[in-house]
Amino acid sequence: MSAVLWTWWDIFLDGNMSRTYGHRMEAAVFAALGEPNRLRIVELLREGPSPVGAIADALALRQPQVSKHLKVLSEARIVRREAVSRQRIYQLEPHAFDAIASWVDSFEQQWDSRLDSLGTFLASTPRGDGDGPDRDRR
Amino acid sequence: MIMQLLKKKKELSFERTYAAPADAVWRAWTDPDQLRQWWGPEKTTVPECEVDLRVGGALSIVMEATEEMGKYAGTRWPMTGTFTHVEPNVRLAYDARSWTEGEEDSTTIVHVNDITMRERDGSTEVRLHVSITQIGPKAKMAAFGMKWGYKAQLDKLEKLLAG
Repeated sequence: MSAVLWTWWDIFLDGNMSRTYGHRMEAAVFAALGEPNRLRIVELLREGPSPVGAIADALALRQPQVSKHLKVLSEARIVRREAVSRQRIYQLEPHAFDAIASWVDSFEQQWDSRLDSLGTFLASTPRGDGDGPDRDRR
Repeated sequence: MIMQLLKKKKELSFERTYAAPADAVWRAWTDPDQLRQWWGPEKTTVPECEVDLRVGGALSIVMEATEEMGKYAGTRWPMTGTFTHVEPNVRLAYDARSWTEGEEDSTTIVHVNDITMRERDGSTEVRLHVSITQIGPKAKMAAFGMKWGYKAQLDKLEKLLAG
């Protein structure tokens, strides 16, 4: 295994995903989303919960195939199943995509800190303009 | 396709007011010697910083993780860009790519950055707008907190996500 190179958001997320799910779960999520039809199922479920039959119809897939995909997705904790009057209804796990949202958070956080640093820098430059109490405000 | 799964938008906006005139803010953002002093977050340095300040000119900044970052030490994050708008003390815009050195193909993010400055009574209101327009497949998967021990699967996934 070659040395692991870290993206900025890896650093931000480091520990979060592993702590919550462990490395085996990461592999499961990885495998789950690496199949195009499973990605399509996930996208469909973004619109709201759906029974297996409706998913199959919407995506022009056979129902047993959809069921298999949903099993993989539910083992990866991306979807969850509920029985509603004898129907199996699938929906996205509410926190399944927190990590993705976190990626954007990390970018946002990087810029937040950077803009703070700019304020500190401006306050420290010997122009007389940045002297005095720090009046930065968001 | 995964980008569509983001709950948060790909547009980021920031607003700050600094107790400094616009020309000081402009210099901080366009003089490489000043830029490198505030650009890198804690535990990083900016070993390279070049600014060719004209429309079409290049912007190049490299952040590097210091020893304080422990296992990440030595990791470099370059950013290269091209200025699209240069209006001193008023507006600066550039298109850029950022990536993790050594993993350019898969970690690249493409983004558009627009900075406006408005001075009032010696203070300057800065607005920054960042649009993320493209994100490489590893960056997409990194969003799931993936660690890269699975090269074979990664290659396959990369092909799937390239579409």
